[in-house]
Amino acid sequence: MHRKLLAFRPTSPSSAISLLTVERFRIKSAAVKSDRVVLIGVLAELSRRQLPAGGWAALRSSAQASLESTCLSTLAIGSDDSDEVRLAQEFLVRLQNPNGSWPAFFGDDRDGVWVTSLAVIALRDVATAIPARLAGIHWLMKYQGKEANWFWRWKFLTADRHVRFDPDKFGWPWVPDTCSWVVPTAFAILALSQVPCSCGGLEDIPIRVDLGIEMLMDRACPGGGWNAGNGVVYGSTLAPHPDDTAIALLALNNRTQHPVVQASLKWLEQTAQTLTAPWSLAWTILALASHGRAVGPLITTLMALPDLSGNDDTCTLALVCLAADSSRALAAFGVNL
Amino acid sequence: MILNRRNFLVGTAALAAGASVSVPFFLPKYHADRRAKRSRVAILNVEQYVQRIDELLGSGLRLFRMNIQGKTVVLKPNLVDYMPGSAINTHPLIVLAAAQAYRSLGAKSVLVAEGPGHQRDTQLVLSQSGYADLLRNFAIPFVDLNRDELIYTRLRASYMGMKSLWLPRTVLEADFLVSIPKIKAHHWAGATLSMKNMLGTVPGARYGWPKNILHWRGIQESILDVCATIPVHFVIVDGIIAMEGNGPLSGTARPLGKIVLADDPVAADATCARLMGFEPDRILHIREGAKFLGNVSPSLIDQVGEALTPPTTPFDVVPEFRHLHGV
Repeated sequence: MHRKLLAFRPTSPSSAISLLTVERFRIKSAAVKSDRVVLIGVLAELSRRQLPAGGWAALRSSAQASLESTCLSTLAIGSDDSDEVRLAQEFLVRLQNPNGSWPAFFGDDRDGVWVTSLAVIALRDVATAIPARLAGIHWLMKYQGKEANWFWRWKFLTADRHVRFDPDKFGWPWVPDTCSWVVPTAFAILALSQVPCSCGGLEDIPIRVDLGIEMLMDRACPGGGWNAGNGVVYGSTLAPHPDDTAIALLALNNRTQHPVVQASLKWLEQTAQTLTAPWSLAWTILALASHGRAVGPLITTLMALPDLSGNDDTCTLALVCLAADSSRALAAFGVNL
Repeated sequence: MILNRRNFLVGTAALAAGASVSVPFFLPKYHADRRAKRSRVAILNVEQYVQRIDELLGSGLRLFRMNIQGKTVVLKPNLVDYMPGSAINTHPLIVLAAAQAYRSLGAKSVLVAEGPGHQRDTQLVLSQSGYADLLRNFAIPFVDLNRDELIYTRLRASYMGMKSLWLPRTVLEADFLVSIPKIKAHHWAGATLSMKNMLGTVPGARYGWPKNILHWRGIQESILDVCATIPVHFVIVDGIIAMEGNGPLSGTARPLGKIVLADDPVAADATCARLMGFEPDRILHIREGAKFLGNVSPSLIDQVGEALTPPTTPFDVVPEFRHLHGV
């Protein structure tokens, strides 16, 4: 169940801070007071960056609403009855493409891209958005990596073998007519796993989700962790990325004992100690928390990073807020601890 | 055969049908010929990444007549990912030196812009590869092209079969765009130089990480369409430590000791290809680029600075590109 975070539209950072009440945040760490002050500042900045139409742009300097920023910010501010969230949810529904998908940004072509998964997640608890969500879920079920087609599968199995992967295990692409990649597949798994029943034309959801999970396992780097989806290219092992690894682990939250997940968790826990980039660190916190790891010290590290509120990237601000309240964020992503 | 009215009509119809099928193959795939009559390329010998790169670069840029006064200069380095000890990215000292040089030439503003193709966390790449501190200390703004505001843009060439792309406002509105690549062998394109570097402007937030649509449409073809659409005004190539073999990520560092400057991206890439021991005409995007974007022939390139000496041992490449080595 969502706790209320914000129920106001701040006019300035100071008024935002004064209006926020203490019980809205429960960060149980030694540095709880300073963490809370930082978080209040980040939330106020996030709130200030909301565009009049309801969305959020990807960068502070931009006025073009981005779907990724809008979905993550909607989840971050997370109160069902605040004006901001209501405006954001209405904006998301308005932006849906006729085919049920969502565009990457306001004004984009109407084909639909990977952010459809995030929109489905962001609208989970909105009763008026049920038809929109259903249309999005149906679109996700039809949307698949190009290797799902027998011809391309045959090509990857016979003629084009420079990138090591099993084309029989496909997931979701970033954009139509391309291959499956780790991050869009992970988000699609999270979105489809939230669907309460496999009925009404959605009977194949468990099959697609299982296939997506197999694809993630197949695309892992040899020593654990994930990058975009190229574990081995021309015989060379490529290094994993913290954020891609974290997002994949989030989607594999109910596969903790799998050897690939174990190796990836170990790699991510080690890497987390040296991370100073807020986006990667925030995803790392969510991923480790989803597998029951202690994340208190990492949250303290995250909140101690310099000038978080001044970060140009709006998705990063939203992620910081989600990581700081990881149990609520995980619930929003459909992860039950 | 008797030429009667019926045969004449049938023959004319056959000719028209044949022409309609074959003509598109012979028509140019670009909208405009942007080649300069002559191009200028400077090769500088620089053995190491040291602080005095700014002096060397400053003096190198004076070999070109550039009017930068009052212009917005966008520097586009090559930042893909970070792996400790590898030569993946353009060295930050070269970008810093370029920023200082353009500021001293009177630029209204100088900013660095890039959209890494493999790593989503741009701030992590900036931090790990040494950019973040330098940009902050010298107050040089950075724009993440993967997440910049996008403008619907009709492509000015049709090699990859797409009519348009969404491209970042920052590069489209730049008065003066400088491509600052690293010299690397590339397992899909043969070499990644100033033209290939421009694929970093294609936004990940719209097309994904990696920008897989470009792979499906053809890397060489995508390079041509993007370079036809986003004019590169100047090139500064980091060839001090280059990469050979399985580039752009997993190759081997190769000390080359060169910085290449050019007022023409095709001439720059042709010169770099020669420095790598490659035949530039055998790299498709350079060969096609010579038809409308710039010059490849040494007779059309004014070579200044150091002499162009091909290496004794050419750069190693993956087997599919061994033909680049020539005879």
